[in-house]
Amino acid sequence: MTKRNKIKKLVVMAMYAGKIMLKNGAETYRVEDTIIRICKSRNIKYVEAFVTPTGIFLSVEYKNEIFTYVQRIKTIKIDLNKIALVNDFSRKFVGSNMSVEKAMKDLKNIDNANTYKKYIVLFFSGIASGFFTLLFGGSYMDFFASFISGALLVLAVQYLNKLNVTYFLSNLIGGSIVTSISILFSLSGFDFNMDKIIIGAIMPLVPGVAITNAIRDSMSGEFLSGVSRGVEAIIIASAIAFGVGITLKFY
Amino acid sequence: MIFIVKQLIYAFLSTIGFGVLFNIPRNCIVKSGIVGTLGWLVYLQIIEFTTSTIAGAFWGAITVGIIGEVFARVFKKPVTVFIVPGIVPLVPGAGMYYTMLAITEKRFIDAANLGSETLFIAASIASGIIISSSLSKIYKKQGVRPE
Repeated sequence: MTKRNKIKKLVVMAMYAGKIMLKNGAETYRVEDTIIRICKSRNIKYVEAFVTPTGIFLSVEYKNEIFTYVQRIKTIKIDLNKIALVNDFSRKFVGSNMSVEKAMKDLKNIDNANTYKKYIVLFFSGIASGFFTLLFGGSYMDFFASFISGALLVLAVQYLNKLNVTYFLSNLIGGSIVTSISILFSLSGFDFNMDKIIIGAIMPLVPGVAITNAIRDSMSGEFLSGVSRGVEAIIIASAIAFGVGITLKFY
Repeated sequence: MIFIVKQLIYAFLSTIGFGVLFNIPRNCIVKSGIVGTLGWLVYLQIIEFTTSTIAGAFWGAITVGIIGEVFARVFKKPVTVFIVPGIVPLVPGAGMYYTMLAITEKRFIDAANLGSETLFIAASIASGIIISSSLSKIYKKQGVRPE
């Protein structure tokens, strides 16, 4: 294989590593760092990466030739484990003499890795919602109501994401589902606090990753992605609020 | 005393729940729970001293940020793994809900009060994280030798 092809393969591999990180919710400066570090570790002198939350642009110079790759990222889901795995991988790749083929195989394994089973995620989202209700002064009865509505909410949102519904609509429907379930519980005649159930059960929708990334990106001088992630967080928050508000009106 | 212990247990478990929801690595679940619990402890104590939820959220976020950066350095994981679940208990979900409730009941003055408090809490969480991550950058620059 010529040296030229080798460089091409390396660049494709670095791009794949960046793609996995970005589509699982990494900060853009971390993606840039990783790509540049991977390329520089194999004696490429000029590497420039420009990452936004929706795409990666990468330019590499080798022997007066410039290779440019553009990768568009469409879906963003949140899987912090994969970011940690690619982080470990890039450290290993830079520090050792790993071949590009082996690296590509490792990355494919990371991309297809499954962190938690579906029912475990549902169970823990119930736990998160339930204990949040307790944290804000709900009773133990409210805990169970919140547990059930939190788990159902995540189930519904997972289903909606599979249908490729836009995130605004899925958050709006999510807020509306939580509120309807809480209204049903409070209409059942037992002593439920509707407010506390809604506050707890709504939490799995809160855009924690978007907020954190918006702040951390802006702090690293990535204002473009800072602003776009900030807007994402604001839109999600208002979608949840609309969903809750619309449904409360019926009550 | 019992109140605080109970609150800390609740904060620990809900942080863990969010950790799984955000798919953090298996061996970081308990650690992120600790980050969230300490943030909540500081939040509660500051509220007791100052009676201001905004100040509480600010110092809570600083705690989460600093401990998250330390854990990230020690356990060699991206810092978001610890910060994202850690700040969730501080996020003003309740404020958001009560604001919406006030709007639907046409209590607009209450809505403005609650809404501005919610916004300020969000801003104070943001500035808490900003401060702790800038502090960690200063530390990083001094610690690493220039290449």
